[in-house]
Amino acid sequence: MVLGFWLTLYSVNNLQQIYISTTNNFIKFGIILIFVFTIFIIIRYLLLMFFSILQTIKRSADEDFSFYKTDIVSVIVPCYNEEDVIIHSLKSIISQTYPNIEILVIDDGSKDQTYKFAKKFEFHDGHKSLRVLSKTNGGKSKALNYGIEHAKGNLICCVDADSKLDPYAIELLVQHFKNPKIAAVAGSVNVVNSDTFLTKLQALEYIQGLNMVKNGQAFLKLVNIIPGPLGMFRKDALMEVGCYAHDTFAEDCDLTLSLIAKGYKIDFEPDAVAHTEAPENLLDLLKQRYRWTRGILQAIKKNRKFLWNLKTKPSISFVMWYMLFESIFWPFMQIWGDLFMLYLALSTGTSQLLLFWWIMFTVLDVAGAIYCLLLTKEPLSLAPYAIIYRIAFITVINIAKIFATIEEWFAIDMNWGKLERKGRIG
Amino acid sequence: MNLLSFLSFLILAITLLTMVFGVIAYFLYKAREKKKENAKLSYEDALENEKRELLFFTKE
Repeated sequence: MVLGFWLTLYSVNNLQQIYISTTNNFIKFGIILIFVFTIFIIIRYLLLMFFSILQTIKRSADEDFSFYKTDIVSVIVPCYNEEDVIIHSLKSIISQTYPNIEILVIDDGSKDQTYKFAKKFEFHDGHKSLRVLSKTNGGKSKALNYGIEHAKGNLICCVDADSKLDPYAIELLVQHFKNPKIAAVAGSVNVVNSDTFLTKLQALEYIQGLNMVKNGQAFLKLVNIIPGPLGMFRKDALMEVGCYAHDTFAEDCDLTLSLIAKGYKIDFEPDAVAHTEAPENLLDLLKQRYRWTRGILQAIKKNRKFLWNLKTKPSISFVMWYMLFESIFWPFMQIWGDLFMLYLALSTGTSQLLLFWWIMFTVLDVAGAIYCLLLTKEPLSLAPYAIIYRIAFITVINIAKIFATIEEWFAIDMNWGKLERKGRIG
Repeated sequence: MNLLSFLSFLILAITLLTMVFGVIAYFLYKAREKKKENAKLSYEDALENEKRELLFFTKE
């Protein structure tokens, strides 16, 4: 952190000297933008890390293991062509420690043997049950709503068919609903196939994204996305906002925004873990990020009226601005910053500035990675990947995000883009 | 060439190459998706896209 602070001062000083000495207005404008961007990023990092530390302290002080086990939890598993993974997913849900579970598998018109495989697991033992319902293909959001319609529980737990839950996951999520203001709780997502270079980078990204970002947001009870692999909702709250909408490709983000707009709080449970497959090749990863970016932008666009409700609805307004910053401002500024630094290096010969600018962000990333790895007790051997993450991974992802943003701006057609499962969760 | 200059050049080159690679990767992804889409195109869809009454195929 000290090194990061020193590099920041050095970079600012260098930029200031170039700003004073140059007569080129483009360079002057660029330096101001870089300065503003850097300030924003550093504040964002420090605030999230600070809130995350506070949340961890608060959690350990509040820890109460007197779970209430009377509420029925309806676990909804929407699936479409999931024959490679559905068995492992269902086994992990059936073996949950929480006693009152109703599992509803919604087969969304699969063309493979998903229905047949799931049907073999149907049972009812008085406390736990599993039913398989089939419908014509209509998309994930419609399958989830179909499940919610048929659910008996007061709490709805949505689980992706390609995810495997830890045995205590549902029990841990349920305890958050003692607070009546909590409408939803996000579970933690862990990459199960972190055995290649690309999936290790994603594993680190998930750990940092969850434990620094979501944990930090949880301090304010304003987690902005309930992840598809694991999330629990209060059924009344879901009904109040009309369940999942079908007009965006990020139905989970859209639903979370609707709940926050209604004044509900959204929490995060880091110990309720869902293990999921990460894309194993770059093109599949770009496909996933393309859909996420366009989906989030669609959700922001749909709820844009809340951006200016700073006085009447500060929570949703704050969340919307934060999401706008993360999904548009950050990728554009990172790529623009790199291009500007390249231009500066080639036109003024000050290539050291690019090096120091890069080291400054890498120091922040590595510090964040070490903090998160220590917190989650994950192997510290993942920390060096933060260097690759900064130098190459994030740039490639941000380029895809920028193209996705441009395509969303021009409303170019897109489809869901289902990823092919490799069956790694077994 | 001292170490700082060498590292600066290295970062500059990597940044440039990563950007070019990122753009190429994105267009490769788009091309792959387009190919997949075309592979499952039905006769009716192709007819609709071409805005014609009939489509003629040539035997290879």
